[in-house]
Amino acid sequence: MARLFLFIVFGLLSYPISARAEEGQASAITEVPAAATHTVSFDKEIKPILNRSCVQCHGRGKARGGFKIDSRETLLAGGENGPVLEIGKSQSSRLIRLVAGVEKDEVMPPDGERLTPEKVGLLRAWIDQGLEWEEGFSFGRFKEAPLSPHRPEIPVAEARGSTNPIDRFLEPYFESHDVQPREPVSDRVFARRVYLDVTGLLPTPEELEAFLRDPDPNKRDKLVDSLLERNQAYAEHWMSFWNDALRNDFAGTGYIDGGRKQISAWLYQALKSNLPYDEFVAQLIHPVTGSEGFIKGIVWRGVVNSSQTPEMQAAQNVSQVFLGINLKCASCHDSFISNWKLEDAYNLASAFAPKPLGIFRCDTATGATATAKFLYSELGSIPADAGREIRLARLAEILTSEKNGRLTRTIVNRLWTRFHGRGLVEPVDEMDNDPWHPDLLDWLAVDLAESGYDLKHAIRLMLTSRAYQLPSVSLDLLHQQDYVFEGPAVRRLSSEQFRDALAAVVDVWPATPATDIQVSEDPSAPGRVRAWHLKADPLAVAMGRPNREQVVTHRASLATTLEILELTNGQTLSEILKQGAAELLASGSATPEEITRHVFRSALGREPTPEEWALASELLGEQAKEEGVQDLLWAVAMLPEFQLIY
Amino acid sequence: MKRIGWSRRDFLKSASAATLGALGAGFPRAIAAPSNPKATADTLIVLWMGGGMAHTETFDPKRHTPFESGLEANAVLSTFPAIDTVVDNIKLSEGLEKIAKVIDRATLVRTYQAGDLGFILHSRHQYQWHTGYAPPQTVAAPHIGAVIARTLGPLNPDVPAFIDIGQRLDVGEGEELKAFHQAGFLGSEYGPFLVPYPDDVRSVRPPEGMTPSRFENRHKFYKRLAEASPIGEFGGDFQKESLVRSMDNAHRLLSSPASKAFDLALEPKEKFDVYNTGRFGLGCLLARRLVEVGARFIEVTSEYEPFKMWDTHENGHTRLVDMKQLIDAPIAQLVLDLEERGLLDRTLIVLASEFSRDMLVEGKPDNPVKNQVEVPAIMTELKHYGMHRHFTDAGSVLMFGGGVKKGFLYGETAEERPCKILDKPVTIEDLHATMYTAMGISPALAYEVEKRPFYVTRDALGKPVRDLFA
Repeated sequence: MARLFLFIVFGLLSYPISARAEEGQASAITEVPAAATHTVSFDKEIKPILNRSCVQCHGRGKARGGFKIDSRETLLAGGENGPVLEIGKSQSSRLIRLVAGVEKDEVMPPDGERLTPEKVGLLRAWIDQGLEWEEGFSFGRFKEAPLSPHRPEIPVAEARGSTNPIDRFLEPYFESHDVQPREPVSDRVFARRVYLDVTGLLPTPEELEAFLRDPDPNKRDKLVDSLLERNQAYAEHWMSFWNDALRNDFAGTGYIDGGRKQISAWLYQALKSNLPYDEFVAQLIHPVTGSEGFIKGIVWRGVVNSSQTPEMQAAQNVSQVFLGINLKCASCHDSFISNWKLEDAYNLASAFAPKPLGIFRCDTATGATATAKFLYSELGSIPADAGREIRLARLAEILTSEKNGRLTRTIVNRLWTRFHGRGLVEPVDEMDNDPWHPDLLDWLAVDLAESGYDLKHAIRLMLTSRAYQLPSVSLDLLHQQDYVFEGPAVRRLSSEQFRDALAAVVDVWPATPATDIQVSEDPSAPGRVRAWHLKADPLAVAMGRPNREQVVTHRASLATTLEILELTNGQTLSEILKQGAAELLASGSATPEEITRHVFRSALGREPTPEEWALASELLGEQAKEEGVQDLLWAVAMLPEFQLIY
Repeated sequence: MKRIGWSRRDFLKSASAATLGALGAGFPRAIAAPSNPKATADTLIVLWMGGGMAHTETFDPKRHTPFESGLEANAVLSTFPAIDTVVDNIKLSEGLEKIAKVIDRATLVRTYQAGDLGFILHSRHQYQWHTGYAPPQTVAAPHIGAVIARTLGPLNPDVPAFIDIGQRLDVGEGEELKAFHQAGFLGSEYGPFLVPYPDDVRSVRPPEGMTPSRFENRHKFYKRLAEASPIGEFGGDFQKESLVRSMDNAHRLLSSPASKAFDLALEPKEKFDVYNTGRFGLGCLLARRLVEVGARFIEVTSEYEPFKMWDTHENGHTRLVDMKQLIDAPIAQLVLDLEERGLLDRTLIVLASEFSRDMLVEGKPDNPVKNQVEVPAIMTELKHYGMHRHFTDAGSVLMFGGGVKKGFLYGETAEERPCKILDKPVTIEDLHATMYTAMGISPALAYEVEKRPFYVTRDALGKPVRDLFA
């Protein structure tokens, strides 16, 4: 590497960061800057300063000069030379004088970037305003979620006689959070939800009718079961989720010169056969034929940052996807946002490497060499001297062992998020954060392991719960600080769900899939080409199908203007509407009434209201023409009622 | 300065929609930068010479050696003679006569220092140029246009904040191009509005075959249908409202007076003809029209496609005759038109390329990389005559307007091979810092992603080149 810190992976607070003193700061400072005049926030304004400039020497277990800022108490206690501050007296505080640079011979931090006068002013105000501290917060060590599985008792549900364990956990929760019981959604709304969540498709009018007519009191459970048995539809729906997470695609950076390998065929079979989740993960880490692509990563030609070698990519992606751990920071230097150290990242990466990796800090060799090791040594060790095959096999074994509660918690949280629009833990890739219901998370995780890592078992449990069947909650409530679960969020159809739903309404499906995967086992009925199986086109991208160069574990659920522009005048949709209208008009006796009725029933699962009848009739006129039918299809497809999962 | 066609009220309306758009995305929040500089420009136009524009053949001419069979490759620094410009100390390469006439409005940087990414790959250098970060990255780095769109918002809410003109994404290496033609972690709200063919107004017109009146009726029908829809009984109104609002935004964008800017047919014929040197020229015309109605960030590219345009692996001299013809007239006219309209002072134009080229050196003289093309030591055919290797140790960046100096030359390169930087190198961090500073954005501005700060210049290291500002 020719230059120091040349390829520092994206804006990390790479230390030692080269000094970037602002112009003019070099001249001698004699006075402490004025205190900020507003009420400062510990969380938003103070924490970042201390994190960036102080904790390297005075936190995370270090106490240079006997001074550590782990807690408010240790901060007040000061160091070898006594207290460094007194509440209310920032002007004379030694801490302030040192960071302001007014002491002749000493300045803090001693290396790297100095504090700006604004930042010193914030610290002054913080001291003067009483040294606010977040309860329980420590710079000593970041909070970590428990690793072991934990099986809480399922509460006895009294008030409402819930049987589903999820509901039995939630009943006391609702009680204590003052959430009033609400009636579950109607059969129609329920059916739409479960069809979309299990198969990614809307129920056809016939399927919906049959379900609505079924008098069986257990028909909702029966429907969930029968949908989960549709292995092909299930697999086709879940391909998109896993393609995002495992950054698998049919085209993209790296494929051009063999620097990347698809896992599409393996993934499809794994989902279709409902491969137990522990084996699913194991086969991605210790590959079988067809699953090599995930840990292979993306091999770039040329020089890449040492934190982005294929082995480091594997360590980062395995941790993120399967364990909800962010190793990206620790791939460059000891993390500032978690307890993970540079060594941890390199040790894990070494399991994937031909030989132990030399450790680089911020792209500069440290001279140290890593030893293949899993992040949690309590789960088991990897024979570091063994060949790669053996190391990978062992890593897969440790990571998927029953003792690893983090594996199961992470995946059940992802499933919960899919169905409810918000996780038990958020963000879903930061599993050290507090769940809003720890027992429920723990129990779901243990239950998954006990079911033999049967994902469909966990899905069935979630979809048959009353919790899932509660009326939906507006998305804007999800991001509030004191989130309380009251029901699933209103979600938006994914790019693929939208495309498939529209294709089903007009029964026109794309001609050419992106791979030669046989989705159907019946050669005489090769099956329809669904949206997941297409190369990304402008419509798919506009509607949120990600560029799969990085791991993506959630998609945005609000429409953007650029997306709607594509829906309004994009060629892809325009073609779909043209073909669809032609198809509808060609199919038998296509009167305006029949077309209107068909579109509403198949797209919205209901008959038009009298007002809608009138509007459609005005649009289509006496005799339906292609243009009118296209516009009707378009308008219905743009309706919130069509695009939202409510 | 005059721009037409929008009001502050419209702006507020659209801003709130963008805020809502961000809400669902697990949106990154801005982390306060030390302080934002005072903007000297409201609009940024990047003129992208994708493929590697040789500095010695364009804006930094060296000793000219005409072709003859048996010529030693090492003897050739420039395949074109130098020409005078309206500024005494600035010479350009033959073929840029029209730009030479407006160079008194320009700041010319001759010491752009491209990154050392090892193996030369256009796509990686282009990614780095457009995001400030060399790929791969652990999060999807946003394009500078997306950063500007996110930070400043649209100048006119009826004009997309980030417009990308001329690059098709279905050409060779299209996948690599897609990787940075995006808003990345900032969210697709801030992504590029792509206009691959500047003279094709379809991107801002109703779908093909739809008359304006049908388009209008379709939207009206939709609005009435949405109002009549019984969804109100389910869930909150939040998403419903945001969807309908986005529909209105999109519709307004397609039917507003500003959208006429996209229609090049409305341009007087003589003016159209001046610009019409090809897709790039028309892209410049479109850019000018968009600046007039309030665009925020526009990139016009001569287009990158492997082995085409500036990507000369053979026949470099011959090809560059055409390339210069493609860019000379439209760029000069763009400058003059913006000046005439009083818009040049607040519009920064930056012409750049991912790296330069040389006849012999691949990479840098002191850090050579694998040769990607065979170059004979003795030339026997005209096709050997040209800059066919990728050179990263100098490059030219031409700037106009937006607060930079006029008729100003910055930096010096060697007169002999390797024609490398002698002083004042400008890295991508510093170039971006200069552009952001002109736009009133601190180079140390950061957005938070995965609890980490992502700085708009790598590690907040970018420093504006103060000398360039007037």
